[in-house]
Parts: sequence; structure tokens; C-alpha cells
Amino acid sequence: MHPNLSFEQAPPISVPYRFFLTAPLFGVVAGILLAWLGESAVASRWVGGALALTHLLAVGFMLQAMTGAVMQFVPVAAGGNVWRPRLVANIIHPALVIGASALVAAFLSQQGWLFRLAGSILLAAIGFFVVVAGTALLRTPARGATMLSMRIAIVGLAVTALLGVTLAEGLAGEAAWPLLELANVHAAWGLGGWALLLLAGVSYYVVPMFQLTPAYPVGLARWLAPTLLVILLLWSAQIGGDSPAWEQGVLLAGLAVAAGFAGVTLWLQQRRRRRVTDPTLLFFRGAMLCMIGLLVSAVVMALFPDLAEHPRAPYWLGVLALPGGFVSAINGMLYKIVPFLNWLHLQRLMGLGMLPPNMKEMIAERAMVAQMRVHFAAVILLLGGAIMPELVRIAGGVFAVSCAMLGWNLIQAARFYRDFRDRMRAAAPNPAP
Amino acid sequence: MPRVIDGRELQPPEPLELALMALDTLPDDEELTMLLYCQPHPLFDILRRNGYRWTETVQDDGTHEIRIRKA
Repeated sequence: MHPNLSFEQAPPISVPYRFFLTAPLFGVVAGILLAWLGESAVASRWVGGALALTHLLAVGFMLQAMTGAVMQFVPVAAGGNVWRPRLVANIIHPALVIGASALVAAFLSQQGWLFRLAGSILLAAIGFFVVVAGTALLRTPARGATMLSMRIAIVGLAVTALLGVTLAEGLAGEAAWPLLELANVHAAWGLGGWALLLLAGVSYYVVPMFQLTPAYPVGLARWLAPTLLVILLLWSAQIGGDSPAWEQGVLLAGLAVAAGFAGVTLWLQQRRRRRVTDPTLLFFRGAMLCMIGLLVSAVVMALFPDLAEHPRAPYWLGVLALPGGFVSAINGMLYKIVPFLNWLHLQRLMGLGMLPPNMKEMIAERAMVAQMRVHFAAVILLLGGAIMPELVRIAGGVFAVSCAMLGWNLIQAARFYRDFRDRMRAAAPNPAP
Repeated sequence: MPRVIDGRELQPPEPLELALMALDTLPDDEELTMLLYCQPHPLFDILRRNGYRWTETVQDDGTHEIRIRKA
């Protein structure tokens, strides 16, 4: 018999959905803020508006969605038990919302007490999540590249949060810390150590399953996470104060790992067993192209240092990484995960002998395609803003519309679940709880 | 006569749908075999809650062969 007989049921559907439905709201706020601030937000990496926008996406959008995904993925895909998921979600979800909002307010107002407040709340929330998710990931009997990648990703999240709260304290007070280097290391652990490794770990499982591709090559899946971990440790050496000469090589190596993962994903998509092309596949394709674009851009900037010195060069890289790369991938993933969770939870209520409605009924394909077009139009406009800064206001507006459409589509799916469940309960005198 | 569902070319939840339909009519003394490229924890959850037992073997090409029968 299979050894996983002891795993408990997946968490209530409200656990992941509160995170998934909140994430697009932060995207809407980010778009509106960019439209409001305009060119001043992209003038430099260090202006408060740019940092507020970055964290609206990284903490508000990405961390929300990824936390919900981990809470759901560990039990469903790995058979792991997340400790009291409803209680954990009841604590972490509002804490992330308040912490992210306080952090954005801190960047915009430059108030020291707001930095300290945001840092404390986020460190507590993320610390709690790291313990809960880390314990579940360590105790699951599942093995393989997905588990390795996710375990290192949780470590990456912990390091990101610790560096983040250190930076918040530095910005709040008079600490003479190397803030530039700390910020570089914080960003690398957040985007590479947490976001990329989580995306890769989940992709090893869901890309072959949902996009019907061959499996990721064993060598890539086994070595990507440890390799990236070594690169991140080398990159972290700059906290010592002096930037070693090989620092740029380490950055390029890290981006090459990301581009390698992206290239393999595109290659697998080309070899998929059924030529089904849906919004999730296209979102992933766009995300992977942006990750390859990051490496190409970094190489070009290394060859032409004048470009790297341009004040909007970090903005260009940031757009490729955040709205272009991770937001696209998460967006596409949500369009598979949410209908699938609807289906699983409805099936649980119905029992054997009855089938839930088709997944395609839960979010209209036409609505997903329309949102996808608006999203990629926003990414192109955002990239265009690096060359023609007057574009960023309209780009922000289009991005806000895209995130609002995503939120609306997800709400429609959640409503579909609720309405169908309520009809079943009304029809059955003693329905399952 | 063993029943086989090859879910390797199907998008989730199609293999689960086929499994649920097959289990509904599976005689107590017969076995249902599923072929998948992943470990289907949601299916295991359904089987556990509905009184089925199963064995799982992983083939060289990554195929998970799951043999199910009534407990």
C-alpha cells in the first residue's frame, strides 16, 4: 500500500482563496500609483515611489499569491500536513496585507516609525509562515526536485525577510550599514532565492501536468536550486563592504540560471504532447521570455557600461523581472489552480458517483484571454517607459486595468464555487460538511 | 478483465473524472489501473475517504502505475 495514508485533507478552500483574491488588489494599487506618480517614479531605483511600486508587486502581489499557493500546494501535491491551515491563514493573511500597506506608506512618506512597524509585522508574519510551511515541507514523505527547490525557497524567504527588516531599520534610523549592498543582496534572495526557486519547484510538478509537456530534465531539476544557492551566497559577500571584482560575473551567473530554467520551460512547451494552447501556457511563455530578456539585458549592460549607468536601467530590469516575469507566471498559474481547486472541493462535497462541472465553466476562456492581452500590453508599455518615460502613466493605468480584470475573473470563479455548493446543499437534506 | 485508464495525455482533472466514473461501476473483485506522470494525491484522498486501497509503482519512464481495488 502507499505510505501516504496518513495525510489529511487539503485546507478549506477559503485558505488559499483569501490570498489569491487579495493579490490582484495590490496590483491595481501599483498601477494606479504609477499612473499618479508618472515619470518621477522611474527616475531612479532609490526614489520612494519606485521602492513603493516594487514592494506593492513583490510583497503585495507576489508574496500574497505565493503564500496561498504554498498553503495549498504542500497538501495537494506533496501530501504534507500544514499545521492548522485556517488559523495560520487567519493570522498571516491580514498581517501581510497590513505589513505590505505599511511598507508602501513608509516608502512614500519616509516616516521612520512606519518602516519599523512594517518591518516588525512582516518579519513576524513571514517568520510564522516559514516555520509552518518549513515544518510541513520537512515532514512530508515526498522527495524529488520539487521538494528540494521548495525547501530552499523557504530558506530564501527567511533570508529575504531578515535582510528586509534590517534595511527597514537602517532606513528608519541612523545606522551606518552598507544599505546599497544590503538592498542588492535582499533583492537577489527575494527574487532568486524565494520567488524563482518556488516558481521552479512548482513548475517541475505543474508544467508537465497541466501543459502536457515532457518532464523537466533530471539534471536541471536536481542542480538548479543548489547552484542558485551557491550563487546567492557568493553574491552576499558584498555585504562585507567591498564589492569584489567578480561580482558582475556572479550576477550574470544567477541570471543565466534563471534564463536556463526559462529556456528549458519554453523548449518543453514546444514538445508538449497535446497542442493545447491556453492562457496559462501563453502567460508562462511571456514570463519565460522576460526571464531570458533579463539575462540578455544584463549582458548588453555589461558590454556597454553607459547603458548600465542609465538611471532607468534598473527600471527596465525591474519590469522584466516583476510584471513581465513573476506576475505573468503567477497570473497564468492562478488560471489553472483556481478552477482546479473549485473542481476538487466540489468533488469532495459530491462524493463518488457524481462529477463536478467542467473546469472550463469556472472562468470563461474569453475573459482570461482578454485579461492576458491587457496584461501583456501593460508589460510592453511599461518596458517602453524606460525609453519614453511619458509612457509610464498610461502603462500604470493599463496595468491597473489588467489586475482588476484578473481579480474579477478570480472572483467569478469563487462565486461559481459558492453558488454551486449552495445549490447542492439546498438540494441535499444532509450534505457533507 | 482489468480496467485501465491512461491519463498521461490528459489535462487534470480529466484523469480524475475518468477514475471517478470507473470506480462507480467497479465490481468488488476487480481492479482499476491508472497510468499517470505524477503522484495523484487528490485521487489518493478520494480513495482513502471512499474505502479503496491501492498500490503504486513508478516505471522507468516516470509513469506512476496505480492499481486500485475495494478495501
